[in-house]
Amino acid sequence: MKTLRLMTVGGVIAYRALFNWTTPGMFIGTLLIGPLFQLLFFAYLGRQLQVADDRFYIVGNAVLTASLACVFGGTMAVANERRYGTLGHVLLSPRSRTAVFWGRVIPYAGNGLLIAVVTLSAGALLLGLRIPVGAVPGLLLAMATGSLACGFFGLTLGALGLRFRDVWVISNVSVALLLLLTGVNVPPSGLPGWMTAVGEWLPITHAAEAARRFAAGDGLAAAAAPLGQELLVGAGYAVAAAALLKIFEFESRRTASLDVL
Amino acid sequence: MNTLRMLAIGTLLHAKQISRSPFEIAIALVVPVVQATLAVYLFRSSGEQHRLLEAAVGAGVMGVWSSVLFGSGGAIQSQRWQGTLEMIMLAPRRPVLVILPITIATGLTGTYALLATLAWGRLLYGIRLDFAHPVAFVVAAVVCVVALGLFGLLLAATFVLMRNANALANTLEYPVWLVSGMLVPITVLPSWTAPIAAVLPTTWGARALREATSGGPVWPSVGICLGISLLCLALGALSLTHVERRARAAATLALA
Repeated sequence: MKTLRLMTVGGVIAYRALFNWTTPGMFIGTLLIGPLFQLLFFAYLGRQLQVADDRFYIVGNAVLTASLACVFGGTMAVANERRYGTLGHVLLSPRSRTAVFWGRVIPYAGNGLLIAVVTLSAGALLLGLRIPVGAVPGLLLAMATGSLACGFFGLTLGALGLRFRDVWVISNVSVALLLLLTGVNVPPSGLPGWMTAVGEWLPITHAAEAARRFAAGDGLAAAAAPLGQELLVGAGYAVAAAALLKIFEFESRRTASLDVL
Repeated sequence: MNTLRMLAIGTLLHAKQISRSPFEIAIALVVPVVQATLAVYLFRSSGEQHRLLEAAVGAGVMGVWSSVLFGSGGAIQSQRWQGTLEMIMLAPRRPVLVILPITIATGLTGTYALLATLAWGRLLYGIRLDFAHPVAFVVAAVVCVVALGLFGLLLAATFVLMRNANALANTLEYPVWLVSGMLVPITVLPSWTAPIAAVLPTTWGARALREATSGGPVWPSVGICLGISLLCLALGALSLTHVERRARAAATLALA
């Protein structure tokens, strides 16, 4: 119970602190309007090329838009502590750092879910996609799962920030790669086998697949397999992030390089 | 002559500075290549094999725009962070002459994206660089880069006033890609976007490059692109002078 409180309260405090630079206008512009235009860009490109129907692009890109907040948020959770000189204080905590950092992911995943919901609603309204009411709970579940997996993916990248000087290069390139490899914009049949195989190990791939099945009116039974796979991918990144943070924390202490930027 | 020399040296200085940033180079090279790859597979999936060069050029122009957009915002912000914004605004020349080299330099480094997507397409996907009008393509590319740099100046005048200019830049990336027809033809967009597209230099720059690539009347697009970008220069110069006076009067240049 105490660990759960640490994760939740700690996560919320860190989220508020790291977002101290933003304002409602900036939040709406960067995290809501930008992703909506991303969805519109690929939906219109898809319409023109007729590779797949509107549902494919709208639902897939809505799930993918969560990655913006989750990947950069997860990265910021570690990298900004270092940038603002507070990482040492966090690592001095007598509580489990794994719980502390896992807790950081929760608000960002919530943020990602909010972005995905807003983007899907606005995209569907603007482009005239009808989504069955019965599909809404399933879609929420798929988007929440994708956001959480993406948050842990971001935390893994953030952990690399303890070793590499410029973690933002990795985050920016990763977000661009998610556009290509998750099958959100190019159907897996149109990608080379190795790209599809890499995509299987990335967040969003399976969540987008599950969301598409829900949006098509298929039930939980049809979407259960991709949802389970997305959960497994997310869990894998959570473990990877925890392991990398432990290793790099140990190395940073050993070489006294914690705050060396 | 002195002004031209100052602009040339300023542009070279800022281009060198940006080119020494691993972050800027990685983003200018890798992200457009990923987008070009995405475009190539999308066009292939739809059976539009003959338009792969167009797709690579379109992805490259998207990279140029991103470079100008984030560069113009980031350059001003980084001058602010470095504490040099006041010094460059204190230079005994018009603000436009001091800021313009920064925005032109961001356009210039954006050409890395265009070159990278073309080289990537040629080497990996065997896309033949058969431009319909090769000379016009080079002229259109130069005009496009300069035009985007001048458009960046207008944006920079806005960015000076904003503490979180990068957030605005994040918002503007996809809308301009979409409305300018860099990959998606303007004809498939809702009709209300047409007037917006018509006043953006990015639309005419991208169109000139597309026509030079696949055939069409290149020069009218080049002319309109130049015309709009000169208007951006005039508006940007006026805005910067106004912004500078306002910031000096309120003593908020470093705090804006």
